[in-house]
Parts: sequence; C-alpha cells; structure tokens
Amino acid sequence: MNVAALPPSRLTEDSQINIFQDYNLHESSWDELIHRNYEPHPHCKGLVDWLSQLSTGEFKQRRQNADWTFINQGITFSVYSDFRGTEKIFPFDLVPRPIEPGLWKKTEAGLLQRIKALNMFIHDIYHEQQILKDKVVPEDLVLQSKCFRKEMVGFTPPGKQYIHVVGTDLVRDVNGEFLVLEDNCRTPSGVSYVLENRVVMKKVFPKLFQQSKVRRVEDYPQKLRDALLSVAPTSAGSSPCMVLLSPGPYNSAYFEHSFLARNMGIELVLGQDLFVYNDRVFLKTTHGPKRVDIIYRRVDDDFLDPKTFRADSMLGVPGLMNAYWKGNVTLANAVGTGIADDKAIYPFVEDMVRYYLAEEAILKNVPTYICARPDDLSYVLDHLKELVVKAVNESGGYGMLMGPSSTEKQREEFREKLKANPRNYIAQPVVSLSTCPTWTEEGLAPRHVDFRPYIVSGTSSWCLPGGLTRTALVKGSLVVNSSQGGGSKDTWVMENGK
Amino acid sequence: MISRVAEHCFWMSRYLERSENTARVLDVNQTLLLDFDVPLEQQWKPLLIISGIHDFPNQAESEIVQYHMTWDRDNACSIASSLAAARENARIIREVISADMWEQINHYHLWMQSSDSRRLYDDDRNAFYNQIKRINQIIYGICEGTMSHGTAWDFFKLGKYLERASQTSRILDVKYHLILPSADLVGTPIDIAQWTAILKSCSGYEPFHKQRQTLDKGTSVADFLIFDPIFPRSILRCLSYCQEANQKIATSDAEFSTNDVHHIFDNLVDWLHSSTIDDFVTGGLHESLTKVVDTIHDIGDSIHSTYFDFRMSADGASCNSAKHQALCQANC
Repeated sequence: MNVAALPPSRLTEDSQINIFQDYNLHESSWDELIHRNYEPHPHCKGLVDWLSQLSTGEFKQRRQNADWTFINQGITFSVYSDFRGTEKIFPFDLVPRPIEPGLWKKTEAGLLQRIKALNMFIHDIYHEQQILKDKVVPEDLVLQSKCFRKEMVGFTPPGKQYIHVVGTDLVRDVNGEFLVLEDNCRTPSGVSYVLENRVVMKKVFPKLFQQSKVRRVEDYPQKLRDALLSVAPTSAGSSPCMVLLSPGPYNSAYFEHSFLARNMGIELVLGQDLFVYNDRVFLKTTHGPKRVDIIYRRVDDDFLDPKTFRADSMLGVPGLMNAYWKGNVTLANAVGTGIADDKAIYPFVEDMVRYYLAEEAILKNVPTYICARPDDLSYVLDHLKELVVKAVNESGGYGMLMGPSSTEKQREEFREKLKANPRNYIAQPVVSLSTCPTWTEEGLAPRHVDFRPYIVSGTSSWCLPGGLTRTALVKGSLVVNSSQGGGSKDTWVMENGK
Repeated sequence: MISRVAEHCFWMSRYLERSENTARVLDVNQTLLLDFDVPLEQQWKPLLIISGIHDFPNQAESEIVQYHMTWDRDNACSIASSLAAARENARIIREVISADMWEQINHYHLWMQSSDSRRLYDDDRNAFYNQIKRINQIIYGICEGTMSHGTAWDFFKLGKYLERASQTSRILDVKYHLILPSADLVGTPIDIAQWTAILKSCSGYEPFHKQRQTLDKGTSVADFLIFDPIFPRSILRCLSYCQEANQKIATSDAEFSTNDVHHIFDNLVDWLHSSTIDDFVTGGLHESLTKVVDTIHDIGDSIHSTYFDFRMSADGASCNSAKHQALCQANC
C-alpha cells in the first residue's frame, strides 16, 4: 500500500498506534518474541521496547524503504511459471527473529554433531557400508534409493569431506524446542538472503542495531571460501583456482549465485565456460584455457556431466566426473550427498549419531513414520487426516499432503499413491511451528516461521551464527517456502551477556 | 577473463552506447523538423534506414517512428530494447561489475518500466531524450570511478567506442539520405541547418566552432566528425580508443601480443589517416561511410572469434585455436 497516498486523517490515526498494542498470540504455538504472559522473552525485551516506540505509520514507512532497497538492488528471484522471466522480490518482514545465546550454543553443537555423523555416513555407505551390515540403517533403503550414486562407490573426495555446505531446516515446537525437519545436503540455497536481509535491516533500523548485540553474519562468504580452499585437490598449485558453477541466469537462484561469487571473490561460470582435457578441468578465458581446481557447484548431480549422468544436460561439463575420479578437481558439495538428506533416511539420523559418534543426538528429529514399514504404513493410512505426508524425493513443498487441511479427494489420491509405492513416502504428525510477530494488513500478527542455519565444512566445520528465518504470510499457514509465497526475516543470534 | 563474461561486458557497453546514440538522432531530427518544411517521406525515414530498418511496414510518420525507435520491444534497435539488453547482460555478470553500477542500471531499468518515463516522453520529448543520453553518461561515469580498470573495463571500453564509431558513421550518413530537393541548394541555409543538426546530435557544435570558427560548407562538418583527432565522438578518435583497449587486452597476456583484431583496426585507421575529406566526397560520402561501418562490423566478428568463441570438442581432441590446445597440454 502506498502510504503517501493515504488521506492525512488516516495517517495521524495510524501514527498514534503502537504496533504491539493489538498483538494477539497464536492459541498454542511458541512465540519467538512474546511469552504466554504477554511479556517479551528476556532476550527480546530491548527489541520489543524499541519497536513499541514506532507508530504504525513510521513502521509502514520503514517497511516501504526496505522493499525499495530490495527492488533497486535487484535482489530478486525468477519465477519459473512466468515465461517472460519476471523477477520478484522475496517478501521481507521487518520484525527480526532473535535467538538467545544459550539456546544457540546448544543448537550449534547439535548441528555440528549432526553434520559430522552425516558426513561419516556418506563415506561409510560409499565404502565399507558397515552401518548397513550392522543393520542400523536398512540396507535396501539405502541401496535402492535414487539418491545412491553407484559412481561414488570406492571414491574418496579430497579431505574426506562430502557435505561442504548444509542448510538444516529446524522448527520449534510448542515448548520452544528446536526439532530437525530436514537436512539439505545437496545444493542448499537461501544464504544470500540471510546476508542481504541483514544489510537492509541495518539500513532501515540503524539505531536499533547500535544498541542490540547481534552476532555478525557477514563472514560467511570468506568462511566458505576458506573451507573449500582447505580441501583443494593435491594436484592444485599454491593458489588454487575456484569457481562457482551456476545453471545460468534463468535459474531462480541466480541472484544468489552471483552474490556469492562476488563476495567470495571467485568467478561465476556456466557449464559452457568449462571443458575437460586430459581429465583436467579448464576455464575458457579470453587468453586461452585456465586450470580449475575447485568447483562450488550449484548444479544438481543429474546435470553435472552428460557423459555420466543425464545425457541431455546442457548445464554440465562433459567429462567432469573423470576429472573428479582422478582427483584433479574438488566438487562442493560432493556427488552423491543426496543419500544423506533423502527423506527415507532422515528417520535414522539420530541412530547414526549414536553409531558413529557414540553420543546422543543433541537435536531431535520430528517423529516420523516410514511408510516402507508395513506397521507404519497401516497407521499412516488410518490417520491421513492428522499427518503430513511427504514424498521422499521432492523439495520446495511439492509432492506433499497436509492432512488437516486436505480434502477427501486428495487423501484418497494419496492413499492410492502410498499403497502403490510406500518406499516413496514418509509421514509426520503436524508440528505446530512457532510464530513470530509479522507485519500483515491488519497490523502485527503471529505467523508461522521455520529456521535454516548453515554449516560450512572443509577440514573443519563452522556454523554461521544466524540463518534464514522463513515465514508464512498467510494466517494459519504452515508453508514457508518462497516458491509457495513465503517471506523471510532477519535472524538475530544474540551475543552472550545481554 | 572468462570468454563469455567478456562478451557480456562488451555487449552491455555497446547497448548502453547505442541507446544514447538513438536518443541523439531522434532528438536532433525532431528539433530540425521544427525549423524546416521537409517532405514527409524524408522526415523520419532516414532514421529507420541508418538503423538498418529498410522494410518499415507503416507510414514513416513522426510519432510512429519515434514510438518504434523508443519503445517498441519488437524492434531490437529501440531504446527500450537496447536498455533492456544492457541490463540483462549486466545481470548475468553482476559479480563482475561494481555494485554501484548495477544499482544504477537497475534503477533506470525500473524507471523505463514505470509510468514516469512514459509521462516524460509524452510531456517533454526533448527532456526525455536528454534523460536517455544521461543514462549512459552516468553509468559510464560510475563504471569509470568504481570498477577496477582491468580486462573487464577494457572490454567495456572496446564495446563502447566501437559502437560509438559505428553510430557516428551512421549519423553522418543521415545526411546522405536527407536528399536536398536540388543540387543548387548545397550551401544554402537548409543544407547548413542539416549539417548543424548533425553536429549537434554528436554534441559537436561547440568543439567544432572552437576549432573552425565558420560553418561555410557542410563537408567541414563531415571532416570534423570523421577525422578530428581529439573530439571524443569522431570516428578516428573512437577507433584509437578501441585500439588502446584492444592493445591492453592483448598484452595482458604475452601469448597474445598481436592478433587479427589488431590487423583489421590498423588497416582501417591507416586508411583513414591516408584519406582526406575530399577523397571521401569524391568517392561518395555514403560509400566511404559504408566502408567504415562494414569494417567495424568485421572488427566485431574478429573480436568474437578471437576472444569470445572458444570451442573445444567434448573429448578435448580438437580446438578452434591451436594456441589454446597447446596451452592445455602445457598445463597438464
């Protein structure tokens, strides 16, 4: 809405209302800012007090400033369905989502523990497969998965590192406990929004930032760069050449690819810019070929090398896998990491932590029914209305049944699908995602949020103190994906001692 | 520098320069027609011809041609198409250009899509064309001041001046197509007014008068716009900027100290140096300018094959450049 176009009386009226005045908590969900007794959580007090001084009018004005910043900087994603390649801004909500230092410390430890176990799992299943032999994870679930890459069997990537970047989706239950919803071990996206959201917040609320002790997120690109350099192939010289491989400007995440390349100080390349000669990867430059040692690739496994994977791929580099197998190039993430974030494998991650690390998982999973198990399947078929059913190989909120809001017809369809191919599905009880005050047409209202922190790993791992908070913008909705109309918020990991 | 990125850089710059020159031509033609009674057929058709549009289906009437050359996205030469293409090239190489530059390009892209630009076009055509000229000038200024002057910058300059040389040739050629009713009119006020307009469309009015004082015959304008060694829009000056940029690109790697691009540039510049305006007029101004435009086109092709078009067969066995193949082997 155009604030300047409102009649003056309305503006005056607006300006008297404190934005928290009419805020009503969700009936059961945990709220990120406000306690059940309507007091702010201790670590949110400064923030809530500061925001409460803003009138509705002022808040709207700053919100508009933020939107314009995104539009002017062209911080956009493309929408696939729109053939003219329209770019849209990812809706940004100005109310940040703070995380208290104590909770963060635990979460960070849990994330690092989890990624360590997942990385060991991948190495194990492409080598000895001990975890399968010990029957901790069912063998057929792994070996029959579409994500299991037989091309990786027996191959060890540089530094034994597979998952250089992971974005783990967390949700917070009614008690405020973080649960893992899924691990994204392939080519997780969204981190550019974490960094850009922070820039915009600082621009729009400079004074608020001065008084709040928020941990920096700006180091991410350098940390990623350093991590990848630490696992350069042994054949690389003293200053390895690193590039970011993007599917191209029509990919919805192209903005992010270019953002990261720019901030990591590396070249953004497309498949057509690279070629393989004598099992070595080269870049086509204006002065001839240049050796490439590390590829931070944002192209899926299937499209990486038409000689090994999909022959019709125009995005990849013919012969890339040969260079990889010969140890002449580092691919980040490694090929075949999809086996670790397969939704059918997800229910076993806590077991993996116990198996490989002899520790209890710090972060718990959402309870999950594995439809490949006959008992679980029959329970799921009887309780479709209460459950969320997910296809194991889909992402972005596609191929999913939200039981409580589904129609009889949709449930019937899913019943057939489940019976026909149970291996393809898991089901979970509906987790009531936490809420965060979010600006809506009716003023501030609770909207469901999730959280995606990022961990980068080379020879060691580092967890970004922050992450992407995605928010549903529709009342009651639990779907936060940007492709389904969700927005995002700045996430504040608070410094200790505040 | 990645070949594909260099190509985007080169074209981004060409499109920006092209939008400015299109605005210049439209603006000057508009102004010229206010003063003189020119037959309808000659009023706007030359503009289409110099842009290579020979089969315009509609009546070449003022508003129709201006719309076609300003807004029509189906016309690849329109200002809107040029600016959109510049922005798309910029978007693809955002990690190469500076953030300031990207924001400005994006800002104007949004402005072109907004009702503000349409309003200015409807209310004050001259101000609109001036604004379009300023877009390229501002972006060039930002680029000069915020982007490292490495190879990307050299390609930016190469594209800019190559396009400008070609555009100045085309602007001069307008005069050829604006046929005077009869030969006796050479040197008359209408002839001089047309030359003045061409001079102004290249921002050359004041620099010309500072050097030559009088505009007694039209060909002195052509002389100035083709041969002047220091005027930034003269063909010769633009070509020497191009040579400089190409030299820097080539010598940033010892393997490339000379290449085909050099040779074609050298031949064209040598030919210009050894010619005078009288030679051009004797040989036919239009024919001489056509030779310039065609050679510039050849230079574009040569830049493409030398720097951008790097082909290596899938098995790495054959390459379109023996030099490239040798470099591969050296690196294995």
